[in-house]
Amino acid sequence: MAGILAPGLGVLAHLERLETQVSRSRKQSEELQSVQAQEGALGTKIHKLRRLRDELRAAVRHRRASVKACIANVEPNQTVEINEQEALEEKLGNVKAILQAYHFTGLSGKLTSRGVCVCINTAFEGNLLDSYFVDLVIQKPLRIHHHSVPVFIPLEEIAAKYLQTNIQHFLFSLCEYLNAYSGRKYQADRLQSDFAALLTGPLQRNPLCNLLSFTYKLDPGGQSFPFCARLLYKDLTATLPTDVTVTCQGVEALSTSWEEQRASHETLFCTKPLHQVFASFARKGEKLDMSLVS
Amino acid sequence: MDAELAEVRALQAEIAALRRAWEDPPAPWEEKSRVQKSFQAIHQFNLEGWKSSKDLKNQLGHLESELSFLSTLTGINIRNHSKQTEDLTSTEMTEKSIRKVLQRHRLSGNCHMVTFQLEFQILEIQNKERLSSAVTDLNIIMEPTECSELSEFVSRAEERKDLFMFFRSLHFFVEWFEYRKRTFKHFKEKYPDAVYLSEGPSSCSMGIRSASRPGFELVIVWRIQIDEDGKVFPKLDLLTKVPQRALELDKNRAIETAPLSFRTLVGLFGIEAALESLIKSLCAEENN
Repeated sequence: MAGILAPGLGVLAHLERLETQVSRSRKQSEELQSVQAQEGALGTKIHKLRRLRDELRAAVRHRRASVKACIANVEPNQTVEINEQEALEEKLGNVKAILQAYHFTGLSGKLTSRGVCVCINTAFEGNLLDSYFVDLVIQKPLRIHHHSVPVFIPLEEIAAKYLQTNIQHFLFSLCEYLNAYSGRKYQADRLQSDFAALLTGPLQRNPLCNLLSFTYKLDPGGQSFPFCARLLYKDLTATLPTDVTVTCQGVEALSTSWEEQRASHETLFCTKPLHQVFASFARKGEKLDMSLVS
Repeated sequence: MDAELAEVRALQAEIAALRRAWEDPPAPWEEKSRVQKSFQAIHQFNLEGWKSSKDLKNQLGHLESELSFLSTLTGINIRNHSKQTEDLTSTEMTEKSIRKVLQRHRLSGNCHMVTFQLEFQILEIQNKERLSSAVTDLNIIMEPTECSELSEFVSRAEERKDLFMFFRSLHFFVEWFEYRKRTFKHFKEKYPDAVYLSEGPSSCSMGIRSASRPGFELVIVWRIQIDEDGKVFPKLDLLTKVPQRALELDKNRAIETAPLSFRTLVGLFGIEAALESLIKSLCAEENN
């Protein structure tokens, strides 16, 4: 009977063994499946990732290229703009040079937020002298905001006459007065600085430089009597005096030669600028010296 | 599988980087190419240029209005100005703190129908006490050259190197010139038969004759003079042409005194009224 039981055990064991085998292989195949599945998913993932990466690469590359193209396209326009800028700058330079040139007409100016600031330049015989300005406010009525005109120039008078009706006339008239004043001042200054040797006393002058008084000698240090001159410039728009008196100090009755000299001096002062008259005195003086030497 | 995982990780990193690159494109000037250089220039231009090109246009506009104002004010239209500067300071002068500079200017423009070209030099001497500036040479070329009155004035201005006087007097001369031309034209149009301008309206004379009084002629000579000081003023004269017979009949010597009377007339009523009355007096019958 052992043989009959024994094989039954054997069959069970065999069955057990088979069962284990099957479950093991089932496990294996499941594992394999899952691994396979995993591997499949990974593969797809990789596949997808690869695709995404390639797309992004292309997109970025494309954008860079289009930016380049954009710049390339934009460049010629920008060069045109740069040329425009250069042309503008050149034009600006020209206009500035021309504005500077207006100084040589005697009148120049700048536009201001209120109106205009006019600059009056003065000169005498080619010598460029002081400038003055008048800042005008363009309103009704036209008015002077501020100015650098000396107080003894009749600015208010001239403005009262012309400012409201004719700015040009106002400015030209003011020009006349200022140029004449500058010219008289220049002559007096030159006399004081260049011919001090011939003056025997200080030059007396008023701020307007239209009344001058001085004493002078033709031969400084010599024995002759000094002359006394008084120059009055009644016409404030002129640079030559209207009234001249020359007297000889300390001599009651002048000899004919002195009288002749005195009269000729009066004429000289009336017709020639002051410093030029003295320049001719100085030259004569040199001539006299030369004659003494020889 | 590790290799694959590794690949996955690598791909994911690359994608992340690409995504960043897509969102912030690289600054063009970081790219090393000629694009960089030109873009830098453009960038500079954008920084200064854009703002200031608007400024430049505004500035130009502003200065051009200034120019137009000055041109109207002075009556002078300057179209060109160039300048050269030469430093004449010698080492000796520098030691004494003296500076000498020569400016050469060239300037051209017009005053109505007169065009001018000026070349002049300005010498600037700066010493310790003061700065002196003087015109040392002046050359003036004017067109048209027919105005004899002007040529004398031009030589005087050149001699005196008086730029300001030149411009001021030129302006007033041209104003008078234009006024004279307008006045002559006006009378020619108003009295076409009586008035004749043998040398055109720009000349200095205007003639009056009457068809009903042949042999009688009045000629007004209107000169524009510029005196020593550059002051411009008109000078009018009347010339009469009268038949002999009329002279004999003229007991009151009206014809003899006509020139003087004319001057008085001008002084009293002004040029236009005086001319008008002369024309009317000669052509009285025609006007009735």
